Amino acid sequence: MNFSSGKRTLSLARREALWAYAFIAPWTIGFLIFTIGPMLASLFFSFTDYNIIDSPRWIGITNYVNLFHDDLFWHALGVTFKFAVIALPLGMVFSYTIAVLLNSKIKGINIWRTLYFLPSVIAGVAVALLWGRIFDPKFGILNPFLEKFGIQGPGWLSDPQWAITALVIMSLWGGGGNVIIYLAGLQGVPTDLYDAAKVDGATGWQRFRYVTLPMTTPVIFYNLVLGLIGTFQYFTEVYVLTNGAGGPARSTLFYNLYLYQNAFKYFHMGYASTMAWVLFIIVLGLTLLIFRSSELWVYYEGQIKGK
Amino acid sequence: MKNKLFKMFALFAMASMILAACGGGAATPAASAEKVKVVIFVGMGTGTDPDQVDAQNKLAEKFNTTHDNIEIEFLIVPHEEYATRYLAMLSGGNAPQLVGPNGVSTVAEFFDTWEDVTSYIKADNLDLSDFYGPAVELNTYPDKNTGLPLGLYPSYLYYNKDLFDAAGLDYPTHDFDDKSWTMDKLREVAMKLTLDKNGRNATDPDFDPANIVQYGYDDSWDGMRGTLADWGAENVGRPTTADYKTAVADSPEWIQGLQWLSDGIWQDHFIGGADVQAGRDSAGVDPFGPGTTGMFYSHTWFLAEGLHDLSFAADIAPFPYNPKGNRIARIDADNFTIPKDAQHKQEAWEVMKWLTSPEVIVDVCRIYGCIPARKSVQAAFLEQLKTDYPGIDYDVIFKSIDYLDKPNNEEWIPEWGKIEDALNNGLSLVYSGTEKDAKKVLTDANAEVQKILDEYWATHK
Repeated sequence: MNFSSGKRTLSLARREALWAYAFIAPWTIGFLIFTIGPMLASLFFSFTDYNIIDSPRWIGITNYVNLFHDDLFWHALGVTFKFAVIALPLGMVFSYTIAVLLNSKIKGINIWRTLYFLPSVIAGVAVALLWGRIFDPKFGILNPFLEKFGIQGPGWLSDPQWAITALVIMSLWGGGGNVIIYLAGLQGVPTDLYDAAKVDGATGWQRFRYVTLPMTTPVIFYNLVLGLIGTFQYFTEVYVLTNGAGGPARSTLFYNLYLYQNAFKYFHMGYASTMAWVLFIIVLGLTLLIFRSSELWVYYEGQIKGK
Repeated sequence: MKNKLFKMFALFAMASMILAACGGGAATPAASAEKVKVVIFVGMGTGTDPDQVDAQNKLAEKFNTTHDNIEIEFLIVPHEEYATRYLAMLSGGNAPQLVGPNGVSTVAEFFDTWEDVTSYIKADNLDLSDFYGPAVELNTYPDKNTGLPLGLYPSYLYYNKDLFDAAGLDYPTHDFDDKSWTMDKLREVAMKLTLDKNGRNATDPDFDPANIVQYGYDDSWDGMRGTLADWGAENVGRPTTADYKTAVADSPEWIQGLQWLSDGIWQDHFIGGADVQAGRDSAGVDPFGPGTTGMFYSHTWFLAEGLHDLSFAADIAPFPYNPKGNRIARIDADNFTIPKDAQHKQEAWEVMKWLTSPEVIVDVCRIYGCIPARKSVQAAFLEQLKTDYPGIDYDVIFKSIDYLDKPNNEEWIPEWGKIEDALNNGLSLVYSGTEKDAKKVLTDANAEVQKILDEYWATHK
């Protein structure tokens, strides 16, 4: 760098910083325009009466007040919570169990891992169509299979009592992504801990309970947070399977589906924006709760308690 | 420093513009720059089947080679995406010039987005007398005319002659004056057509309702309003009073109609429930084509969709008289509409006139399966029908127009989509067997509709 020319030049650190900003600029600009921009717009719309066709009209907090008096809002929230309460823990236990099995030294393990991961790369629409056929009481494969055991299969997607169960089963099938993350966590557990436990006379179950499980709590925590957010955003599969109606008899009217209906079917874009922000607050609250609780059950290697 | 930053952002701006240009924007060929392009948005209803797409492209070619100042292009949108795509185009300031074919329902769904074509009709001094009266009426609302009529889709029964023959039953009457053809009679015939896996029909005491292989009747492709419009209620297919302020979905006639349906599914077993519908949906078949439904109640549009390559003999018959001794056969209708926000509306109007002109309307209706809305082309269209669908009773199609539902089962009401969903939820309760008492279903649905209306009128004058 020539300091004697009298021309102002930048220090190395500042130049590096500028280049860093330049390189992250495409993402940052995209984030501002395509994420923050619509978010702020939707926040504004949530205080308006906006039907897409006419200009938004400011109505203050009316949409928020109306939301709490809307029976279908509570119904949709209930359906979503019901699904979350069943699908989330079940999915986590299922994925974790599969990951533990796939972590063992058996023949053809890579083939098994590929097989279990494969469903998660299939698009949601294709998955929904596929399971629509599987669940079909007459032409599907599930009910004839159950019949072999003397079980009369229900109308999975046509009976309001069974529709959520069907969606839970479907969600388990796509848990391959979680399995891979658990598997990575399981493989990161130091083997010397197992050796030490063995020396201390720990049984297989005790090694799992006191070594494997605590050491993989960070990945369980990670999957729990993402799973919670994903569950509350559940939309594609139910939209495809019910033609956007949330049937039968509103038994699958998920929160996001009702939000979509308000936006694109009833043209209440302002109200739908309100729903989006309320959902954001609900998910944020639950996520913060999980973060808070993590102090009690998530163990980070190298972490000193209390710090 | 400032100079460098400016250069850096200039580079990004240029790169963004290049990327945007590569992103599939509508680059207009230089050759067509002199012509005004009229984009016709297809997907609100029929028109998206591959055969129909080919036929529409040929129609566009015919128009484009005979017009110097306007060029048309059919924009085919998958039916399941029509709402989001149309609204995205509107909100993005890129409204299509024409939309259609639209049913009465999609006209109602997007009612506020349409241009009133009254001034265009007046400016051209267009004579509407050649159009069927009902076709014009279905496009005429107190404050606007939504478009020129394209076609009508009257409804009637499609019946499987082979199943009637096998059951030793007479075919449904084709005589529109035969008052013995009632909903009770239909029920009786349909039960005899319904078979279990042992070949017993639904009137047999040993009939096995858990293993039905053939149903007598189906009307599962319509919503609550369409299903109950024919039962003779004062407001026919409209769930509100004429001022749209009071819900009347719990009228005695609608309750009677819904109970007839509920009993048909769960007590008499001649109508398939939600399970049966789900099976057909997942197999991608219509209720009539597989040959396991004796009578299917549908519209003229089903000719194009479902009356090809049948493995059995079929014909059509009038819909029965309702318990009040009247015949109402709900009707669907199509038109083309111009969005209020479209550019080149005058050119769009010219295209609309061309599509519905006596010279072209038969070709257009052959694509979509509708009866041309013009009386003057009825004979020409009949000849086409005879070629396309030989052996059916064409009189049934044309005579059914006289029995249309008015107020129509798809016409606009406030909060159209929300009220449709509220009512169709009730229908879903019946089809799924969750609630079999029609009075309970319609009382609840009526209360929900009234609440929606009250909320609407609280903010609208």
